[in-house]
Amino acid sequence: MSIEKRILARELWLAAARPGDIVKPIWFLLLVISMVPLALTPDSDSLAEIGSAMIWVATLLALLLNSEHLFQSDFSDGILEQYLFFDRPLAWLVGLKLTAHWLLHVLPLILISPIGAVMLSVPGDVSIALFITMLVATPALTCFSGLGAALTLGSSRSGILGALIMLPLFVPVVVLASGVLVRAMDGSETLPLLALLGAFSVASAILVPIAVSLAIRVNIGGSN
Amino acid sequence: MNLEPLKLKIARLSCERDYRLLFDSLAFTLDAGSILRVAGKNGAGKTTLLRTIAGLYEIQEGEVLVGDQPVSEAMHRILYIGHRPQVTGDLSVLDNFKYMAGHDDTSLKFALDSVGMLSYHDSLVKELSQGQGRRCALARLWCSDAPIWILDEPYTALDVSMIKILDKKIASHVANGGICLFTTHQVPTLSEFQTLELGCVN
Amino acid sequence: MRWRWFHQWGSPRWFYERAGRWQLVCGWLSLGLIAVGTIWGLGFAPVDYQQGNSYRIIYLHVPVAFLAQAMYAAMSVSAVVLLVWKMKIADIAMQSIAVMGLAFTALALGSGAVWGKPTWGTYWVWDARLTSMLILAFLYLALIGLRASIRDPDQAGKVCGILVLVGVVNLPIIKYSVEWWNTLHQPASLKLTEKPTMPASMWIPLLINILGYYIVAAYLVLGSMRAILVARERRSSWVRELVRRV
Repeated sequence: MSIEKRILARELWLAAARPGDIVKPIWFLLLVISMVPLALTPDSDSLAEIGSAMIWVATLLALLLNSEHLFQSDFSDGILEQYLFFDRPLAWLVGLKLTAHWLLHVLPLILISPIGAVMLSVPGDVSIALFITMLVATPALTCFSGLGAALTLGSSRSGILGALIMLPLFVPVVVLASGVLVRAMDGSETLPLLALLGAFSVASAILVPIAVSLAIRVNIGGSN
Repeated sequence: MNLEPLKLKIARLSCERDYRLLFDSLAFTLDAGSILRVAGKNGAGKTTLLRTIAGLYEIQEGEVLVGDQPVSEAMHRILYIGHRPQVTGDLSVLDNFKYMAGHDDTSLKFALDSVGMLSYHDSLVKELSQGQGRRCALARLWCSDAPIWILDEPYTALDVSMIKILDKKIASHVANGGICLFTTHQVPTLSEFQTLELGCVN
Repeated sequence: MRWRWFHQWGSPRWFYERAGRWQLVCGWLSLGLIAVGTIWGLGFAPVDYQQGNSYRIIYLHVPVAFLAQAMYAAMSVSAVVLLVWKMKIADIAMQSIAVMGLAFTALALGSGAVWGKPTWGTYWVWDARLTSMLILAFLYLALIGLRASIRDPDQAGKVCGILVLVGVVNLPIIKYSVEWWNTLHQPASLKLTEKPTMPASMWIPLLINILGYYIVAAYLVLGSMRAILVARERRSSWVRELVRRV
């Protein structure tokens, strides 16, 4: 097995061994969505208007919630420092880990979003737009939340600090996605904005792992 | 299996932590086939030195050369086992091993057999005792091609029989032209080694 | 002690003593400039024909809003110096600037709110500039929080340096995206831009104040850097000697 395959396989088995890490964010997402009509109004017209944005924000928070453990346990077990002894650049290995994280922990959140859309009476075409937006935008968000997790590796009791640090950097993605949703509700062209979101995701996927690997190196270098 | 003969050269290596000079202008060369024990009191900088030589810490001053390459480019020639478990509690012994060390199942099972953990190969690591976990981490020595071994407190939590097995493995590694650096607070039972005493600079 | 200080700039003692002198110069200079600019601006500049006297808050608001952003630029330069040349004084600069940056951003937001009430009848609108200023405040907060969570100052410095640089790449993207978002949701009913045709008697005191606030920022950053430097070097001989002298 090549190093790449081994790292991906390990992530897969770890996810299987810790099903709670996959279930809890989905659970959280559904709970937040259930709170919206209770807090606001059960009226389906009003819900439809804000529903897609609510799902989007709830997904964002769920994504941040589950990225907290992205590197922490491997870091404290001393597994992450072993990655440095592999004959590969750390940024590449980090990229693999982030990819596995997206597939195993973020994709389920996206797949659940149509159910949320039904719960909040989001019209069909808007819910399709929401689904596509999430597919295109979450790679960038995964990278940034990974950066938050890596930066806070050295902190004692980091808790939600990684999320607090990274949320401001989510702004461009949130704004562009909201643009897509607004246009989908108007029935106007969404493709150019989706392309822009995609470009942002690609750029993040290339550049952010480098920053993540630097942060990991610093935190390995500063720990005993 | 003979390893390529490799020298480990440490030159003018200095390190300071929290306003304390741990070591200053440290210089030595280890030829293929040598064992170095790094000794010193708690807090003398043993772990810092080993991690610096392994390339995990940024070098503050001086250089570490593996062959003629700086260590940052030659880390794949080093096998480092530190204080941390190096194994994940939620995976089985064999899985832990498979994904970190590579190799086919036969040589992995041979390695586990050597440390007496074969019968536990499908138990989760978190179900094992501390010493057994340590054995799992050390099993990597039996399927590594790295010529340089850096072992931080390898004897901790090991019983007498495992200490003997480990000693034998280290001896055969250096007999094949490898290099081994280690620390321990116990009296080492290895037959031949050099000692570097830290904690003399102030 | 074997620090990697950069020539003289790197010597903590040299910096401490020089910075003390620069601080003195900056302090008096900024006091003079701000006194002139503020008295001129508040007392003698003409009344605005649209906003009346309430416009005069620009003599505070504009300089601090400038500084809120300039501080981030200064912090990025420090981050590069720290990560590339490993100069410890750059880390101390980064730490000081983050706190001052947050303070200026908060002042800019606060003075903007006070100005907003008489001008547009509300303390807060989700205007593009206000929104990006708010995000900037969150970024400063992130840097302060991250540093506070890490015990080892060297490690904290490097980690914060990475975050500063990621932030500086993102800030323009955030700014443009927020501007675009603003046009998406709101018709541009509120214009925040000052009228370009400001008479000289209005903008000259503003210019003096901007200069004064920049210098007062330097004064504050230098002071805070000296304090952090002494705290970090508390175990070194020169600080002990300093304490004995005092």
